[in-house]
Amino acid sequence: MPAVLAGLALLLALQLAGTALVVLLGLPVPGAVVGLVALVVLAARSPALRRRAEPGATPLLQHLQLLFVPPGVGAVTQLDRLAADALPLTVAVVGSFALGLVVAGVLLQALLRRRDLRAARGAAS
Amino acid sequence: MSALDAVVHAPGFGLALTLVAYLGAGELHRRLGRPALLAPVLLAMVAVAVCLRLLGISYEEYLASVSVLTLLLGPATVALALPLLRSGRALASSALEVGVVLVVTGLVSVGVTVGALVAFGVDDELLRTALPRSVTTPVALTITETIGASATLALVLTLVSGVLGAVAAPSLLSLVRVRDPRARGFATGVTSHGIGTARALAESEVAGGWSSAAMVLNALAMTVALPLVARSFGG
Repeated sequence: MPAVLAGLALLLALQLAGTALVVLLGLPVPGAVVGLVALVVLAARSPALRRRAEPGATPLLQHLQLLFVPPGVGAVTQLDRLAADALPLTVAVVGSFALGLVVAGVLLQALLRRRDLRAARGAAS
Repeated sequence: MSALDAVVHAPGFGLALTLVAYLGAGELHRRLGRPALLAPVLLAMVAVAVCLRLLGISYEEYLASVSVLTLLLGPATVALALPLLRSGRALASSALEVGVVLVVTGLVSVGVTVGALVAFGVDDELLRTALPRSVTTPVALTITETIGASATLALVLTLVSGVLGAVAAPSLLSLVRVRDPRARGFATGVTSHGIGTARALAESEVAGGWSSAAMVLNALAMTVALPLVARSFGG
């Protein structure tokens, strides 16, 4: 438990540091996202920091869905609004999902294959 | 005031209700063999909404009771750094390819969303609300705040995208012959974030790692890009 709380305190500290940076530098992004980037940069250099954050992060990520229940309950109260615009929203969401998925999958597969081939050729010569 | 009234209006009631609904929905989901369409989070939301209506508790009162959960969205967002670090080395060696795919997919996804909604002539606020749908929920919620959209409605669209990914992504990717687990995982994570990532993880460790990395990178890219897009639609 102390490790979990220490991890949580570290994550909160990074979020607050992110918030301070956002205000000081006038960044157009949320403080928590700056905290995310800060943790990536710092933990990539320091495995000790990563080990300290891990016990706090693991239960949060495992139960991330619990945190979406309160705004979701609010959404249920807005269902009539959704129903009124159901057709355009369905086309937009399903369309951008399907096209995005296919483009990302096909393009990345082709690019990675090209790179792997080039790496294999480089190793052979 | 009756004892029942005292209990349901106690400050801890909403939190207790949410925890019970979440755990109960998870248990039911496991017993039914994990059907992708009945995501536990959807079951829990409906159960809580029904209880609030039956017991005559307003949404504002409920929200005050669960403020600790809302508060945890911040540290949960920071925690997303860890899955990105886990697949860091593999990603760094293909940084160029990943970057190109991220930008192209972002353009396609936002382009289709804006194109479809403009074609149907919906109002600007609804359009802004539909923008963050591919972004992992904690970040999507902060983006909606930045661009002045309805957070609750944006959340539904994000959840729908996630469930779509869990249900349809594997077969759709097989249909267009994407077999590389790295590409399958990345495509799933970039379009359907956490819920899709859970599905990709069931496919393989590699697919899951690339999926969670794609989810985080997409969230970062969209955090920067969406406010700019929203500005041209009154955001």
